[in-house]
Amino acid sequence: MARKSWHLSRRTFLKGSGGASLALPWMECMAGASTPAPPSPRRLCAMYWGFGIGLPKEDSEHANWRWFPEGEGRDYRFTDSLQPLECFRNDLTVLGGLSHPNGRKMGGHDTGDTFLTGAFLNNEFLHNTVSVDQVAAATVTDQTRFSSLVLSTDGGVGEPTRSSTLSYDAKGRPLPAMHQPKQIFDRFFGEGDADSIAKRRRLSSASKMLDRVLEDSKSLSRKLGKQDQDKFEEYLSSVRQIEQRVERSQSWLEIPRPNLLDEERDMLHLESDDQAPRLLMRTMYDLMYLAFRTDSTRVATYQITNMADASSNAGKFPQLEGFKSNLHGLAHGWNKPEGAVKLGEWDRFMAEQFGYFLMRLASAKEGDHSVLDNSLVLYGSSNSTTHNNQNYPLILAGGSNLGLQHGRYLKFGNDVPMSNLFVTMLNRFGKETKAFADSTGELTELTQV
Amino acid sequence: MNHRIRHRLILIQLLIAKMVILCVPVFAQNPSRTFLREVLPILEEKCIRCHGAERQESMIRLDTLSTNLMSDRSVAEDWHEVLQVIDAAEMPPEDEPPLSEEQYERLSGWVRQTLERYVEATAKQNGRVVHRRLNRVEYQNTMSDLLGLEMNYSMDLPPDSPSVDGFKNNGLALQMSALQMEYFIATARQALDRVIIAGPAPNQFEHEFKESNVKNWLGRVQRSNRLQRSQVFLGTMTKDYPEEGEFRIQVTFSSELRPNKGYPILEVSVGYRPDTEVLFRSVGTAEITSEQEQTLEFTGRLENYPLPVRGQGKYPGLVVRVRNLYDDGSPRPKGDKGVFPDEPELPVIHIQSLNFEAPVFEQWPPRLHRALMGTASDSELDERVRMSNVLSRFLPRAFRRPVTESEIKKFLDFFDSIREEFPTFEEAARETLTLALISPDFLYLVEPAGEEKRPVTSWELASRLSYFLWSTMPDEELSSKAADDSLIKKEVLAQQILRMISDERSIAFVDQFTRQWLNLDVVDRVSISKDYHPGFSNTLKQDMVGETQQFFARLLRENMSAIQLLDSDFTMMNEALAKHYGYEGVWGREFRPIQLKSDDQRGGLLGQASILLSNSTGSDSHAVRRAVWIRDRLLNDPPKPPPPDVPTLEEADPKFLDLTIREQLEVHRERVACSSCHKDIDPWGIALENFDAVGLWRSEVRRKKGKKFETLPVNSVDQLPDGSQLQGAEGLRRYLVQNQTEPFARSLVSRLLAYALGRQIDLSDQRMIDELTLNFRNNGLKLKDLIVQIAQSEAFHTK
Repeated sequence: MARKSWHLSRRTFLKGSGGASLALPWMECMAGASTPAPPSPRRLCAMYWGFGIGLPKEDSEHANWRWFPEGEGRDYRFTDSLQPLECFRNDLTVLGGLSHPNGRKMGGHDTGDTFLTGAFLNNEFLHNTVSVDQVAAATVTDQTRFSSLVLSTDGGVGEPTRSSTLSYDAKGRPLPAMHQPKQIFDRFFGEGDADSIAKRRRLSSASKMLDRVLEDSKSLSRKLGKQDQDKFEEYLSSVRQIEQRVERSQSWLEIPRPNLLDEERDMLHLESDDQAPRLLMRTMYDLMYLAFRTDSTRVATYQITNMADASSNAGKFPQLEGFKSNLHGLAHGWNKPEGAVKLGEWDRFMAEQFGYFLMRLASAKEGDHSVLDNSLVLYGSSNSTTHNNQNYPLILAGGSNLGLQHGRYLKFGNDVPMSNLFVTMLNRFGKETKAFADSTGELTELTQV
Repeated sequence: MNHRIRHRLILIQLLIAKMVILCVPVFAQNPSRTFLREVLPILEEKCIRCHGAERQESMIRLDTLSTNLMSDRSVAEDWHEVLQVIDAAEMPPEDEPPLSEEQYERLSGWVRQTLERYVEATAKQNGRVVHRRLNRVEYQNTMSDLLGLEMNYSMDLPPDSPSVDGFKNNGLALQMSALQMEYFIATARQALDRVIIAGPAPNQFEHEFKESNVKNWLGRVQRSNRLQRSQVFLGTMTKDYPEEGEFRIQVTFSSELRPNKGYPILEVSVGYRPDTEVLFRSVGTAEITSEQEQTLEFTGRLENYPLPVRGQGKYPGLVVRVRNLYDDGSPRPKGDKGVFPDEPELPVIHIQSLNFEAPVFEQWPPRLHRALMGTASDSELDERVRMSNVLSRFLPRAFRRPVTESEIKKFLDFFDSIREEFPTFEEAARETLTLALISPDFLYLVEPAGEEKRPVTSWELASRLSYFLWSTMPDEELSSKAADDSLIKKEVLAQQILRMISDERSIAFVDQFTRQWLNLDVVDRVSISKDYHPGFSNTLKQDMVGETQQFFARLLRENMSAIQLLDSDFTMMNEALAKHYGYEGVWGREFRPIQLKSDDQRGGLLGQASILLSNSTGSDSHAVRRAVWIRDRLLNDPPKPPPPDVPTLEEADPKFLDLTIREQLEVHRERVACSSCHKDIDPWGIALENFDAVGLWRSEVRRKKGKKFETLPVNSVDQLPDGSQLQGAEGLRRYLVQNQTEPFARSLVSRLLAYALGRQIDLSDQRMIDELTLNFRNNGLKLKDLIVQIAQSEAFHTK
């Protein structure tokens, strides 16, 4: 086993902490204590990939590579594409027929941005609206060290309609995604400054710094033209947000970073990058799992691939895993004889990685349940076959302890907007919600037997 | 001249010409009566069926398109588009009844007037974002120049968003977020921790290695002082070595050169061995062109390199590694028990000695500290006076303009407010300077302005020039020209622009502009198929990008004609690329111009592997992608993106798969829905079918079928909608040079202007672009002159 820098830090950490007890908001050990167990944290996360899935005709010889299962309700059978998820059959529901009505009016490659928002974007109007994960995050933001974990393969925000993030703030502005495993790890689990007095000094001075910047910037803003002012508002709101974050950091300073288990550190491949897709996806899933397990955050999104095609680092993922064409090419092969098999194999590859994530979440116990039982896990795309903005392939997993009923393949008609799913997810998350975007109600089927 | 282009020329002239202005309240909130009475009925009769409520072909809908242009810039662009297609008689489509003469006059007349008024109204108005954030590259360069410290400043910053036309310095596209802000603070602190030091001078460490001293090492390499591709020289320091500060490595060596081979490449790197891996970062490389004994010096900051945890691990110690990177691509010899045979045909480096010193400083505190904090005698002064001195030196450089006493006072107040909390002056000073480095005055190119246009000041001009041509802050000379306000004088400005272009730092412009304009970063995102191109080495990708950038750099520095971007009698090659292309006698990794013969097929951008590869699938060419690239990047006329839910072809027919690309695209074009766009896309790419995925010339297309390859003939002849036949790459080049010079010149002018201004070009810039394009063409398309003209243009001098 290679010894990597983050392994070494474990030793330093163990030396330093001397096994002192850790005051985390929620801990496994507390469940066994005499005090009554606090309610388990509820989590929500969403994964996305671009260009859709394989969907050869039902009567074709490659029907076994249709992404959607055969049958309906409880009486369904996974095809080869989703076979790796068989063992989680009772922890998930496959959803068919859903899509965003606004998305159906948009370009075939333009719907990635609105997967979690349901907004309408076109050439003349590129302003998005808040994403469901951020609505959830806003309700628990003071509970955890980080309000959410936003990941993607490309990082940053990308450009409208080809963005490289799934998350949008309350004003519809994209939140930059992180894409470097090492950076994510350091941010969430690194020791930070060992000297906490020095750290406190700097937090307090940062707070003053931000006050001052905000004050001076207001006078600068008055000197700017109208459009510049609008743009500059971004800077000001960033400063305001980070002020809150600094405040939060101050209150979290006394609480040590979460203690990771040896095997958790050992499994991490923080050196992985977009040259090794399988390893990278698993590492990202591992980081999400650890963030949930340690209650460092309760909300996460991960854009595995997007529809930026040649300008995305993920475009070449299939080739790096031994497939013959890039992501876009693979997706376009869905109705060619060889193409259907290849695309199906790719869908299966993706499902294997997703299964790995479910396995991690399921194996971490929380009281009588698992982290998975307390997490709402959405996995899907905004195309069925490529260019086609209907019938999103979707899986909702976990949340058995939050009232979700699983083990079924539910089919819906075009009259049910996907936002209804978000309303149900938010309610299960604990955020009482009547409507989200263009919703027309709840997806009651999910909570009824 | 193709008819579409001709019409566009007429259009532009019409836009410039003073028009008789009718009393049409075009900017009112509601559509004018003229519009409702005279224009809308034409739209309803001729256009709405495909561009209305039911269908929105090409995503254009006309029945609800606003006539209030001032409310939304994109509405003006759409009406402009309407005018273009009716002027070019592209719409209504061939199979529909055309506009009557009267209808044409009425519709086009209305649109033209409306646009003309829009242009006039916006010309007076300031409304463009110029207040832009430094992007990652600019931030990296600016921090390095400001502090003088080598560090990876942009490592933790999220990637920047490109604008629609691909530029990463567009003020509107560049976002700011809390995450970025957080890392701006952290990065500034980290850098200032390294620059501003406290305490007594540390011990200086020095170690000389006469021979490679590591026992156990990984991989198929041999430890030696005599280096070819299978040997390494390793110097390990287990004790006493420092972990921070600047280091200096001196390597003394001689070499043996070989005829008809490249030069040996000496690489020095620093790192360590964490068990089953080695972690190194290169300090530098040098191509060795002489056999004489010589000494080369390499420097860096230890904090930037992988460092082992002292005293831990199975293989403790910090290691300096020297390698000879030259590899002629021949099969590597097998080693026997870690010993590799001499390869007599390959060049050799003999290491005589290696000297490592750290931390290096000529006096204490070191130079970077003194530059910021003043000399040791300053420490006698009162802290507040000291801080005030530091700020008076630092702030004007950080903000790229003079600062007022009251601004300095604000920072001093901050210093006062935190001083007590920090044990030392230096710590409080670091925080105070961090405040400057997260201020908008540092992070943004700030140009305060109201709604009215105004000329930029000398200082603003200095920044504009410097970020345009160097992607960094102004240097001392440029700042001095701003300080005495002489920069706005024509001759001083011209002299500065020329100085900046000939300065080495202008490589930042070449690098950034070509990457963004030509989309060169995609080269790295295309994965080359091992099946189709088994011998392909990914290191070649860098050389491909190098060719294109060096080519552009030569045109710029020598003020050559930009038409050579379309077709040229030379290209730039180094050894690796020449080998790839099949040219002999080019040695070494430096690029040099290579004269091309008339049938070499390498002239212009379209013969360069970077462009051909980035628009391929990695296995084969991609005609459509190449075509879209030409129309977008070279002609500024990108085709519309595919509409939602495009019908799919019956590709399931196995016969389809046996067709050549050209034939497949023809089947594709038989579909009416595809044809309207693809007939003007495909031919541009078909012409380049003789180039495979990695840019090599071919007369047959190889296609994998099962385990075997089958071959299909290359068909690279196709016809554009205007009737022009394109006969392969040569024909395409000829067509571009003969028929598309104007659109190409206009396109290059627009893209350069967009990059120079850091914003999107819009309708109100057309007049400027016309003028620049005309001058550019009259001046033989000289590239350097164009850059000078752009930097002297009104737009560049106006906020």
